[in-house]
Amino acid sequence: FAKKIKIVSITFHYINIYKKLSKCKICYGNLTTFNLSCPFLSQTYHSERHTGQYYTLPAAHIQKLFPHGLPPRFQLQIKTFNEGCVMVRPPALELISYLKKADYSKPPLRYILYGDVGTGKTMCLSHALHYCYTQGWLIVHISDAHLWVKNCKELLPSSSRPSRFDQPIQASQWLKNFKITNERFLSKVQLGYVWTKRERTEKGQPLGELVDQGVNRMKSSSDVVGAVLRELRLQAGGATEGEGAFKLAVAVDGLNALWGKTSLKKEDRTMCEPEELTLIHNVRKMMKNNWSGGAILTALSQTGSLFKPQSAYLPSELLGEEGFDNMEPFVPVSVSNYNEKEFESCYLYYLDRNWLQHSHSRSEEGKKELIFLSNKNPSILERLCAFL
Amino acid sequence: MCVSLSLCLVRWSRYNPYYLDPDPSKDARVPESELSPEEKELQELKTVSPIKAALSSDTSSAFNDPLISKFINMMMQDGNKILARGIMTQTLETIKRKQVEKYHKSPAAKREEIECNPYTVFHQALENCKPIIGLASVQKGGKSYQVPVPLTDNRRRFLAMKWLITECRDNKHRRTHMYEKLSQELLAAFANEGNVVKRKHDLHKMAEANRAYAHYRWW
Repeated sequence: FAKKIKIVSITFHYINIYKKLSKCKICYGNLTTFNLSCPFLSQTYHSERHTGQYYTLPAAHIQKLFPHGLPPRFQLQIKTFNEGCVMVRPPALELISYLKKADYSKPPLRYILYGDVGTGKTMCLSHALHYCYTQGWLIVHISDAHLWVKNCKELLPSSSRPSRFDQPIQASQWLKNFKITNERFLSKVQLGYVWTKRERTEKGQPLGELVDQGVNRMKSSSDVVGAVLRELRLQAGGATEGEGAFKLAVAVDGLNALWGKTSLKKEDRTMCEPEELTLIHNVRKMMKNNWSGGAILTALSQTGSLFKPQSAYLPSELLGEEGFDNMEPFVPVSVSNYNEKEFESCYLYYLDRNWLQHSHSRSEEGKKELIFLSNKNPSILERLCAFL
Repeated sequence: MCVSLSLCLVRWSRYNPYYLDPDPSKDARVPESELSPEEKELQELKTVSPIKAALSSDTSSAFNDPLISKFINMMMQDGNKILARGIMTQTLETIKRKQVEKYHKSPAAKREEIECNPYTVFHQALENCKPIIGLASVQKGGKSYQVPVPLTDNRRRFLAMKWLITECRDNKHRRTHMYEKLSQELLAAFANEGNVVKRKHDLHKMAEANRAYAHYRWW
């Protein structure tokens, strides 16, 4: 009898949640049994009992927040299914709960998402970043730090410092994306900065002008990036209440690129150190916890890394001694393959979206084969189901 | 040259005629009561006679499709089966993506007409490309004539696949990937359009035009 009451009370609880979700004015999208598609309300409702369920990222948010941030296969999936759905998973929930409980008057906590290849680190990071965006934080998102240490076509010697190298294309691209993501903050943040001996931005100019200058003049764009980061660091903990207050979320994917090796060569054909690149140097300064009023969310990545074996996935292996010492103390968050409930959810989601077409994949035996072939690894499962 | 893989060739293509082909499917075993007398004889034969070695590309899984395997073999160059299979999976994925995208963007009324299964699209496209009648060159009185001739099933399947592959390799823009070209051609053939179906129709018209020479065929 007690069990029946419990079941009834749980169903009433869920019915209440669904009623609240369905009454939300901002909510749109279908509410199937495993789809939580109210972004705003569901953020506060994301808790352990929602693990394995999917929630839809609104299209406007994807355009603004992730102009460059999502993995390419996920972008293809968004285009095909006409919606961007992310699975709620324990590492992301852990990260969001830490973000909720942290004290923002103290120096920022550094979170590192680590795990084997294809387990979903970038997606968990994106989920947490979306939470920060809906809470109104200012987002500094470096979608893949590995892109800054390899395949750079233009490597200019820096105008401001003699022993540094600039990357104008990458810097201006990042500034454009930063502008798209943080449009509402660009007019609020005030600053003053000196460029070269000829150019200077007066005090009291909004951040938007600085970013525009960086986008328009490619030569000084790397220095502009450094200036932007420095200003945000100084101002994040500054005004506690009122108009100018904001919390800063620094998100870096592929953190191990900052302390690894580059594949770039200087003009005398010697290898370039990551220290000598302006962009990398400035991001490293961001990673120190000598400011306050925000959080540093990072994810390691072996797939884009240079000169690291494929079996390496732990922070100590990928970051190296220097990186580990710089990042310590940090909060490690481990990301692993799907468990059974998450696999079920993923399988049902693909069925719902009409993605699993082969008749055998829809049977029980086919499902067992998928489990066997993919070992419940999210990325391998996605690639398998793509042609089945 | 595909030397990097250490695959040893177990199976020759020359076997004694009494060797039977391996049947990897799990449903091969049917209880004895449901078999007709000929099938019972066949089962007896299977217990006694030797069987050829199985190819490494055959699986007992139900995902194994003999038509797709044949197409992969025809696409393969220099024995690079991995590349050929990769191209095939990418083709199936591209077809599915295009169709599923169309499915999700169309209103509910039109959704049932859109075929999203890449395997049915492939099979149907191949069927649409198969010629019914072919031409053979016959010499009579010093002159060679193009004579309309019936084709076996294997020959028809071979011609359809060959035309698809050569069309994609030769007549498309050189900067597009093979899987893109193949998916475009297959979707066009599924809708009975495109260059391969046109080539089939041209063959049929030639055969129709040369009807008068049909009596030159003696087989």
